[in-house]
Amino acid sequence: MTSLRELALSTIQLSKDYGDRPAVLPLDLQIPFGEHVALVGHNGSGKTTLLRMVAGLLDPSGGSARIGGHLSGSTPARAALSWLSDTPTFYDDLSLREHLDYVARLHGVSDSKARADELLVRLQLENRGDEIPTTFSRGLRQKAAIAIALVRPFQVLLVDEPFVGLDEAGKQSLLELLDEAAADGRTLVVATHELAFVDRVQRLLALRDGELVYDGPPSATDVHQLVRAG
Amino acid sequence: MNAESVNAASVNAASVNDRALRAMRRTRQAHRLGNIEWFDAAYRAYLVGIFGGGSLLWISSSIQDETVGAASAADVAAHAPSILGLLVAFVLLAGLRGGAQGGPVALEAADVMHVMLAPVDRRRALLRPALQRVRGSIFTGATAGAIVGQLAGRRLPGTLLAWAGGGALFGASVAMLWAGAALLAHTLITRSSRVPRWTATAIGFAVVAWQSAAVYFSFRDGSLQILGPVDAFGSLGLWGWRQHATDLIATGVGLMAVIAGLLLLSRISLEALARRSALVAQLRFAVTMQDLRTVILLRRQLNQEHARRNPWLHVRRSTEPASSPVKPATKSKAANRSRALTRAVHRRGWHGLLRFPATRLVRLSALAVGFGVLQAAVIRGTTPAVLGSALVAFVIGLEVMEPLSQEVDQPDRTDSFPVDRGELLARHLLAPTMALLPFAVIAGVAATLAIGSVDAIAPAAIFALPNLLAGATGGVVSIVRDAPDPFSADKQQSFVPPEMAGFGATIRLLWPIVVSAFGCSMVFILRVAVDNGGPLVGAAIRGAVGSLLLAVVVGYWVKVRDRIRRKFKAFMAEGRTQALGAR
Repeated sequence: MTSLRELALSTIQLSKDYGDRPAVLPLDLQIPFGEHVALVGHNGSGKTTLLRMVAGLLDPSGGSARIGGHLSGSTPARAALSWLSDTPTFYDDLSLREHLDYVARLHGVSDSKARADELLVRLQLENRGDEIPTTFSRGLRQKAAIAIALVRPFQVLLVDEPFVGLDEAGKQSLLELLDEAAADGRTLVVATHELAFVDRVQRLLALRDGELVYDGPPSATDVHQLVRAG
Repeated sequence: MNAESVNAASVNAASVNDRALRAMRRTRQAHRLGNIEWFDAAYRAYLVGIFGGGSLLWISSSIQDETVGAASAADVAAHAPSILGLLVAFVLLAGLRGGAQGGPVALEAADVMHVMLAPVDRRRALLRPALQRVRGSIFTGATAGAIVGQLAGRRLPGTLLAWAGGGALFGASVAMLWAGAALLAHTLITRSSRVPRWTATAIGFAVVAWQSAAVYFSFRDGSLQILGPVDAFGSLGLWGWRQHATDLIATGVGLMAVIAGLLLLSRISLEALARRSALVAQLRFAVTMQDLRTVILLRRQLNQEHARRNPWLHVRRSTEPASSPVKPATKSKAANRSRALTRAVHRRGWHGLLRFPATRLVRLSALAVGFGVLQAAVIRGTTPAVLGSALVAFVIGLEVMEPLSQEVDQPDRTDSFPVDRGELLARHLLAPTMALLPFAVIAGVAATLAIGSVDAIAPAAIFALPNLLAGATGGVVSIVRDAPDPFSADKQQSFVPPEMAGFGATIRLLWPIVVSAFGCSMVFILRVAVDNGGPLVGAAIRGAVGSLLLAVVVGYWVKVRDRIRRKFKAFMAEGRTQALGAR
């Protein structure tokens, strides 16, 4: 049996309900280090709730989630996990560069300039670094959030609907950045409706009404049906 | 990548991140200070000082209530600690409930996402916002306490200065108790500790019940007296008059609660912080814009107060033949159309009212009790209580007139109905007015008990509903006034000098409360009758008629407001056209 410390992400009977409405039914999940996972499901199937619980942003109704064997929300888990939300959030008095510097420093990186510059160029934001991201359009905000999520060190990356609002160039850049992270041995869990992305992962998880209905390689199932079957 | 690298990352980050947090907060504070227009800020402080402080002193000094006699003073000394304690018990209940629902700390949404998810010491990161919250509460409590204290000092023994100081100490202690209770409830009543959320409410109600028993027995002649759990706080409220060193236990308890809450900060729920961060930002903006309706809506969301899925009662379907409220028709059919519109709006009103959650009903009941007690205080000679009752009635009005507010909140839908907006809004007053009845009964019973005489029963039965309705009209004015106005004079206002614009905004904010105060002032008719030994029932009927007249006037204003504005706008446009033609 695999020990929890050998797993990048694990859940034991993790569940969430809002009163009498279940959002995620008790879920046991084991994702080893370095695995590249896509999470699919129709609207309201529980993808975001599951990811937010793992990130420590939602209190589970039952069970627990662990990152590298550490309870989610604990200091080591926060150090290891990077969370890219579908609703980017920024300070309204910091430029994008200041955001990148701040977040990197909060994660123990005192000099992040080279990495920040690289991310800005690759996400076509090199001329926007000194602007305030709260004034950006939807797509630019998404790109800025991606840069912030990737500028800091991490072992596990949780991503929720990263392609929403991105133009084709942005989507391509993001795919390349995710591929690089996977090649570096990072664990990726990406919730998405973008079926083209699903072909790139090793493992597919499908949720329906809060229940895990598929866990296996994407090639072994009809992904379209899993996503539509809500 | 493996578990060891996870630990290594954590250790590496911990050594740098706290310094980064402090450095960035300093930078951001410098940004904010740099963005402040100091002259403008000083000018605003000057205006608040002149108008706020000056008005308060003027109103206070113009109240000529007599100093109470020795017997009444003895009554106050005997009962005030337990009665004030009851107020404190309710504050404690509010703190515990607020904490269990995610209060009292609120962070920026970006702080939740970037700082709280970083490997920083969460207690340290949260300490500053939590201290700011506690500090703000203490300041508000102390200011309110000082104001009420100096008003009390005009009728009770002791100097005004002592009463203001004692009131400030009382207010600050109660605020500390509130903040500490909220922090403790938030950090101790969590899913991980397996303590259900209702525990906070149960503890709060237990304290309220115990303190209520203390109040009850303090009024009974007999040897049995119960010491209330928060009597020490109540006794501290009389420090402007006499000082008992043991009352400082209350201040100590408040302080200890705050310290304990701050020590447990790292247990604060990130889910609650994330939920509150966006709402609190909107709430601050709404307060800045003096948008009372939005403030109330956001506070409900903060308290996770949602309409019931199943109504308390089901509204029966009408069995009368259907009649379209919109179909053009003859004169006799026009009456049918009007009735159909009334029925449709009335029915919609009850659908909403019957979905009020239990917490809102309890809150409204508590407000009704407060309204009755304050009105009784006016009758017994405490003039400033009329302002308190006006504020309470105003809030009751805002709460009960929810169907009207919902209509006003959806201007696009309202304007898409092929009916006159004024006609529609006026019909929305009917169901909430009927819904006021049970709260009027509660207020009447509370007033009768506070007066303590059977002679008060008949006047209270006659006067309670019209009086509460008149007080609630301020809420109606506030709701309807904030409706989007196609005939708005915003463009003209943009040329108004800042001083006049500020003055106009203040008047705009206060006007609905003035209407409520006017409605509540009908109680002076009863007070005059009591003072002169006149017939109370006759006075109650006169007061009720006056109250109903005000309610009718406000209802009519709701109905014709748009028409009046339209005519006024046309009149002004015609005048301008003629003036240009004359040139």
